[in-house]
Amino acid sequence: MSTDNAQPDVEDESSLISVDAWDRIKHTERFVFLISVAFVLTFSYLFSRAPVISDVTQGYHGLTVTILIWSIFALGFNLLLGQTGLLSFGHAMFFGTASYATALFSIHVFNEPLTIVIVGMLSAIALGAVAAVILLRLHTVYFAIVALAIGQFLYFLASNPLEGITQGINGLEVDRTPLLGVVDLDHEYGGILGALVVDNLYLFVGVFFVAVVMFITRIRKSPYGLIFKAIRENETRASFVGLDVWRYKFAAFLLSAGIAGIAGALLAVNTQFAGVERLYWSISGDVVVMAVLGGLGTLAGPVIGTFVWFYFKGIVNGFPTLGDYWLLMLAVSFTAVVWAYPEGIWGMITDLTAALREPKTLAAKVKSRVTGGSSTEGSNGGDR
Amino acid sequence: MSLLELDGVHAHYGPSHILRGVSMAIDEGEVVTLLGRNGAGKTTTVRSIAGTEPPEVRSGSVRFDGTDITDWPADDIAMGGIGVVPEGRRLFTELTVEENLELSTITRNWWNTVRRRGLGGGESTMAIDELYDLFPRLEERRAQQAGTLSGGEQQMLSIARTLRLPDLDLLLLDEPTEGLAPQIVTAVGDAIEEIADRGLTVLLIEQNVHEALRIADRGYVLDQGDIVYQGTTEELENEDLDEYLVV
Repeated sequence: MSTDNAQPDVEDESSLISVDAWDRIKHTERFVFLISVAFVLTFSYLFSRAPVISDVTQGYHGLTVTILIWSIFALGFNLLLGQTGLLSFGHAMFFGTASYATALFSIHVFNEPLTIVIVGMLSAIALGAVAAVILLRLHTVYFAIVALAIGQFLYFLASNPLEGITQGINGLEVDRTPLLGVVDLDHEYGGILGALVVDNLYLFVGVFFVAVVMFITRIRKSPYGLIFKAIRENETRASFVGLDVWRYKFAAFLLSAGIAGIAGALLAVNTQFAGVERLYWSISGDVVVMAVLGGLGTLAGPVIGTFVWFYFKGIVNGFPTLGDYWLLMLAVSFTAVVWAYPEGIWGMITDLTAALREPKTLAAKVKSRVTGGSSTEGSNGGDR
Repeated sequence: MSLLELDGVHAHYGPSHILRGVSMAIDEGEVVTLLGRNGAGKTTTVRSIAGTEPPEVRSGSVRFDGTDITDWPADDIAMGGIGVVPEGRRLFTELTVEENLELSTITRNWWNTVRRRGLGGGESTMAIDELYDLFPRLEERRAQQAGTLSGGEQQMLSIARTLRLPDLDLLLLDEPTEGLAPQIVTAVGDAIEEIADRGLTVLLIEQNVHEALRIADRGYVLDQGDIVYQGTTEELENEDLDEYLVV
């Protein structure tokens, strides 16, 4: 099939475009861009205000902003774990530090939303550069545990010795100022725009969301994507083909830290607050759950995982009686999904859509998954 | 001056002293084989040359083209002209054949790496098309995941991938015919000969004495971490070396 075929191929009466053409289109950067823009534009409306749908989801606008921000965090975390296989249990350090840097900069230096978010991101990258020097010498569980330790170290540092700067558990306030001195972030729109995005704050966060998605897509499609995959599979082999493994892991670490930093900074702008709890280890754990639940190494996975996580926390939590057990229900769902689909919810969806094309294989696949058929072949044999 | 010179190399894996003063020299354009049975230290020798850790080289030196490379990291050695085809066909099984071949040619410039959409634009010893001429079966399987290839095809890909490194002068092959069917062994051997005919220097580590002597000009015999015999192919064929080799 020629790739420059502008006309969609008609395969049969039930599909408008052929499966092959669709597979090609959905992997283009333009498609990812359009989908992420469409997602940002419709997410809040569908979740919280659309007729019928929102009655079922019971969502509200404020939660959508939070989900977008945490999605950025999960995407940043996933860039490290999903692409290079480095599991960090200390990503809260970037999230919380960026939050503090954003707040401190706004209080002591200059308060403008875009500037302080960039400052927050840069602070996370700077912290990432320091942490990487320690962490990238370590592997597997040691990497995860020391990352956790550094995060907790910063948590205690911020809550006690540096209380004079961070205000401890009281936290810091971030005053809301106009974007670039002109645009009021609290300005609410009317008409269609108002129905879709409500206010400028949502748009502000949404633009960052799309930018991060596009940046990650670019990385994945560039030779870096291939290098990261190679390093994830085997570092020794990667060095045999002339790749400086440390350097690329360092790059991935900084990128991941920077993206987590953007999320932390945006959260400070959104909540007008920066507190010590954002450095706490449970934040690191939450983001691991979100990424793994949604599907590691994919773009949609972390976003879906974040959505599900916050749906339980924000909506199921409010259900009468059942609500008290939201965390238990989330844990059960998490276990069930990861048990049957190690690739997470997104893996489940792609599996189902693939199976719908060939219904015969669906039953066999589900059966083998549940009964624990061999799924992924381990190839990490040591090059010794 | 030899292209590669090992001078009294002592290599250790933690407390185990594996190489006990290995000295050897390979001239440009030669095909040299290093023979020895399991545990003799063949792979440790390869890893000592390739800069992979472990083992730790505690004394002695590895010189390449006059430069002391004993302490160089593996990736610098790979970019500096020594290509290693590791034991057991270590491929990136999740990447396709073509992606495996493109990895070696990625530019070291960060910004160019992000900007460039295509791969394989960097310099390399052999172009992909040339490699496909050498190994036609790889071309047929170019879009297939490397992990799905047969053993022989994986070995071909492993060799081909190494030939994609830039400015390659020396090719180290660690037991390339291990575990392959007899006719595939000959095919891989023929390919190695053809690579040598192009002027590349080859160090062939083998347990398969017959195949190694068919290809090589001369050879060394390694036993218990030390060179116990060296000579031309004829000398090796005539000498009774059963004590050191498992045939």
